[in-house]
Amino acid sequence: MYFHQILLFIIHKFNGERSQTASYYLLKGKKSGQTIQDVTYFQLHSYFSLFPKLSKESYDEAIKILQKNEYVQIENAYISLAEKGYQQVNNMEKPRFNGWLYRGNEQIFWKRVELIVQTLSQFKFQQKKFIPNQKDIEIQHFVKKYFQKRDFQSPQFYTSFKLQLFQLFESANLEQFQKELFVYRLSGYKKSGLTWDQLTNYYSKTELDLKFAFIECLHILIDAISKEQHPDLFDLLDGVEVEVPLTESAVKTNNLFSKGYSIEEVAEMRFLKKNTIEDHVIEIVSANPDFPVEPFISNEQIEKVLEIAGKYKSKKLKLIREYVPDLSYFQIRLALTKGEEVNG
Amino acid sequence: MDKLTEVLQSKFGYTSFREGQKEIVEQILAGRDVVAVLPTGMGKSLLFQLPAYFLTGSVLIVSPLLSLMQDQVEQLKMIGEKSVVAVNSFLTFAQKENVFQNLGAYKFIFTSPEMLQNDRFNKILASIDIAYIVADEAHCISQWGFDFRPDYLRISKWLQSNQHSNVLALTATATKKVVEDIEKTLCMQKPFSYIHSVDRPAIAYEVKEVETQQEKKDWVIQRIISTSGPGILYTQSRKKSEMYAEELKKRGVKVSYYHAKMDQEDRILVQQQFQQGHLEWICATNAFGMGIHKDNIRQIIHDHIPTSIASYMQEVGRAGRNGEQSIASLIYCARDVEQAFFISIKDFPEEIDIKYFFQNDEKIIQLPETTTRILKYWKEELSEKETIELFSSIKQAKWIEIQKLYDLFQNDECVRKQLLHYFGEELITRPNNCCTVCSLNPKEILFSREPAVFKKDILNWNDRLNELLP
Repeated sequence: MYFHQILLFIIHKFNGERSQTASYYLLKGKKSGQTIQDVTYFQLHSYFSLFPKLSKESYDEAIKILQKNEYVQIENAYISLAEKGYQQVNNMEKPRFNGWLYRGNEQIFWKRVELIVQTLSQFKFQQKKFIPNQKDIEIQHFVKKYFQKRDFQSPQFYTSFKLQLFQLFESANLEQFQKELFVYRLSGYKKSGLTWDQLTNYYSKTELDLKFAFIECLHILIDAISKEQHPDLFDLLDGVEVEVPLTESAVKTNNLFSKGYSIEEVAEMRFLKKNTIEDHVIEIVSANPDFPVEPFISNEQIEKVLEIAGKYKSKKLKLIREYVPDLSYFQIRLALTKGEEVNG
Repeated sequence: MDKLTEVLQSKFGYTSFREGQKEIVEQILAGRDVVAVLPTGMGKSLLFQLPAYFLTGSVLIVSPLLSLMQDQVEQLKMIGEKSVVAVNSFLTFAQKENVFQNLGAYKFIFTSPEMLQNDRFNKILASIDIAYIVADEAHCISQWGFDFRPDYLRISKWLQSNQHSNVLALTATATKKVVEDIEKTLCMQKPFSYIHSVDRPAIAYEVKEVETQQEKKDWVIQRIISTSGPGILYTQSRKKSEMYAEELKKRGVKVSYYHAKMDQEDRILVQQQFQQGHLEWICATNAFGMGIHKDNIRQIIHDHIPTSIASYMQEVGRAGRNGEQSIASLIYCARDVEQAFFISIKDFPEEIDIKYFFQNDEKIIQLPETTTRILKYWKEELSEKETIELFSSIKQAKWIEIQKLYDLFQNDECVRKQLLHYFGEELITRPNNCCTVCSLNPKEILFSREPAVFKKDILNWNDRLNELLP
């Protein structure tokens, strides 16, 4: 059910203005202009790139079930919540993902912790030879370096790492079963973790539900780690946060903006269409609220657009433009993006 | 104590050689080409590991299966050998560059046949000192082998155009024909060949034919719930492996399924749980087995007819590694023969696919990945007509293979004798519990299973974390 609930949240945010594949691309973290724009328009940051490995079959199946049970409806290719869906969304606790910032990288954090716990556990029982569960060379190298920097065989390190892990678990605002998921996926000396299938049986939930709950658990944990309280865990976050949450192309555009070039000039220099550069502006603004938008739109214009959007409860560009025909679609989008920052 | 035994002890922790090992190592050290056919679990890896400590230069090990390569690297690291590297497609560009710069410093270099096509890699290989070359799973070289990998044939060309170091070919299962193929493809000069008997006296063969699929399923379930493991049930499909696991779980058996579609992490966890004795049974497709280091498996069950005698032998060979009496049971219906054939050729291109592939850009054709890879290889080597003929003859050969296995189970001759015969061996001594045809008393072999006390574990994160990190 959890996966279905997440879908309902996303569909709710899309406000009936997108087709059913939009949520799929969002969860997969598709780096296309459209998906990135949608993230900003509809304030979907938390769900972006939540599950890069999500298969189209599982997704389609879920949508089918939601449709069959009348949680959602699809009309003219647009998907929206049905009455039952609204009720669900209103009665549900809001998921606490941070997809925009982690984009699947939370798995890196998980793999590092997993390998460290496995190693510490084996060493605790004098097993210095064991086969690591993590096969990824990057992870192995990272952990090796991490250990080299510390006196990892010392009781001091062991105790402090363990304390930090316990402290994190006790303080983080997780549900009981999420803590269990995390801990029972870990392995150590003569104890191997449980498979998703085994956990699925235990909780009588679907595998996808558990995997989403697990991802949420990782996001919450990562958010809760602080340098002061969990110095040994904090170091495991290296490279987990996306530093510049922009597409590569938008980064290039941004660099040129900072040198003072205009949209037209950047488009010409980069052999790209003006539209594309405008997409970049939207992307940049949503990632960086301090980016100056005055060259493109005035404060009064922004307020005007938001007023209309609020009045008609819609972000449909065409509708808004009927009331502000002197503004371009790009300006309206920009205004809506700024508006999300205020409300979101 | 001689030098070889000394290193055997200090590096590998064994006090004495197993049958054949010393002979083979001596031949490698003498600079001869060697073909060694040894059943799994008979210390094949040692054969290429040990001589490295007596020679200068690096050992280049070509391995067609990435998972196997990984397992071998891990096993070497386990014994404290750090000078190991795997050069394969898993490495990122930066990692590859890094490895290339110090390639000669590694004692063991594992690689795949595909990588041998990389020009840069070849140049560097040519510049370093190579002690000897190892072709692992060498039966994959032969199209008569049950696990033919055309990419592996490229090694032949590579050997011809590169410095010639002596070659060690290793495999667990090879008929005479396959051995000949290996020798030829690897350009071996008067090789020393060591062929260990494929006979496993500790394994008894039980064969049973039934009428319906339902009967089969009932029999399998009954056997598993009433007799003790550890055991592996081999099935033909992912779906079936999951179905059996589900059915058995309901009846209180500690069991898990295993197939290639699972997450890598989960596959590792299942292997571990089985190895540690937390699971009694694994219901698996043929993806299960590589890198399983468990020597007390008592039962192997097949609910189908495998696609060749060699693959059957490899799968049952996972039982009784510790030498204790175990049993391999195969239960089948007459119709399973066709199913086996269907499965064994499912990745084979049809004539029309081949034609299309040769006449068009390969990118636009939707074929399974393995099929595309196979065809790509042959497109470089053969004409369209030859390729079509080749595949029709391989198909025929596959059919004959399966038919042979089927006949073997059907006729009234000793199963063990026939299996040995297939590999060109005569049966000399027959164990008491041999096979269904000669003499077999399953009651002597099978212990009754003590039903697992089934209490639902309550998960408690705090306790568990304290158990992992006491």
